[in-house]
Amino acid sequence: MTLLPWKRAHRDVKPAAQGFEQLAMPLLPSLYNVARWLTRDAVEAEDLVQETFLKALRGFAGFEQGSNFKAWIFRILRNTYLSSRNGLAARRTVALEEELEDSSALVPEGAIDRATPELNLMRLADRAALEDAMQSLAPPLLEVILLCDVEEMKYREIAAVLEIPIGTVMSRIARARVALRASLEGHRGSAKKVVV
Amino acid sequence: MSEHLSAAVLSAAVDGELEGAELARANEHLAICLQCSSECLWNGLLKRRVADAGARYELPSSLEERMRRVATGGSARRSNWGSWAAVAALVAVCVGAVVMQRIWRERAQQAAFIGEVLDQHIATLAAAAPPEVISSDRHTVKPWFQGKLPFSFNLPAALPAGMTLDGANLTYLDRRPVAQLLFSIGKHRVSVFVEQSADERAVSAAERAGFHVVSFRTVELEAVAVSDAEAGRVAELMQALRAAQ
Repeated sequence: MTLLPWKRAHRDVKPAAQGFEQLAMPLLPSLYNVARWLTRDAVEAEDLVQETFLKALRGFAGFEQGSNFKAWIFRILRNTYLSSRNGLAARRTVALEEELEDSSALVPEGAIDRATPELNLMRLADRAALEDAMQSLAPPLLEVILLCDVEEMKYREIAAVLEIPIGTVMSRIARARVALRASLEGHRGSAKKVVV
Repeated sequence: MSEHLSAAVLSAAVDGELEGAELARANEHLAICLQCSSECLWNGLLKRRVADAGARYELPSSLEERMRRVATGGSARRSNWGSWAAVAALVAVCVGAVVMQRIWRERAQQAAFIGEVLDQHIATLAAAAPPEVISSDRHTVKPWFQGKLPFSFNLPAALPAGMTLDGANLTYLDRRPVAQLLFSIGKHRVSVFVEQSADERAVSAAERAGFHVVSFRTVELEAVAVSDAEAGRVAELMQALRAAQ
């Protein structure tokens, strides 16, 4: 893990010096969306975003222009969430964390049900079922899948936001997809261990 | 056929995160393995569906407005010139506020003083009682104030034509002892209040409720005349009084 990972991610993209408003406001909808998923509450999500904004504004003088602002502010959001009451509860998934921190432990082959692709596709088309499945994900899996699929962050950016190795990001994303699939299929098999 | 790809590799493949030998090995396997190709396709579809379903919550406009105010109000990284301009503007506003406050305070004090002087004059006109000292002789009126006032003043030896000294009262303005000299200009009564000069109170010519208020100030004295007589005549009386000091 790097000390200042967000400064290393996407160093090739170097926007001109910009003010906080120009950098932060376009990210506001994304910040709120992720905050809403994590907190599962509209008021708490607003509070989380507001606190994130204030912290980011206070720390903006120390932000290195040209480095990855998105990773930087999402990291603030995530750390602020973790220090909240909701976030502290999410942190209690100790067993899951221990399992996931082992970056070499990739998803077991048995976790994937390769037998019912048609059924899977039908369930995938059910948006409500997918939203329920996402909502049932453990916070470490939910945040990683949101950053990857919704925010379209690269693994190294996600690693910078979550302050974890890229291998762990890879493992978590795979586990999140297996868990979503298991949830959509209504399975209670091996994948359930990941969800709980 | 090689071993099936792991879930992590399949995920990384749809996320575009495989590189080099790992990517080559995955492509090689996917080209010949229907199951893994199917899984890869499923993961790709799942990724797109999660992207759609995940963008679920719309930003409340109220929050956007609040955050815009936060971002704008505290916008960091302003240029030094901007910072200095902001400081200069703040200083200018503060100085302006102090000056305006002082002006308003002086005006308020002046208005209050004129009002008090006017009230005293009207009270004197309305009172049935005669002045405390009745005399047209300056050598009678001036000595009457000895021991009553902490200052002294002079009266002119001769007043302008048509003006007479009627007497005087000891009164108080703003809790300070003041000589109220009573004159007549024709049938019009004039009150001239004489007190020790107070720098913070600058009274100039003014008009209030039909009465003319004319004043002068010397180093030690301040005199204010109130009357419904012609303003020019009142000023003439005040010039005579000033000349006597």
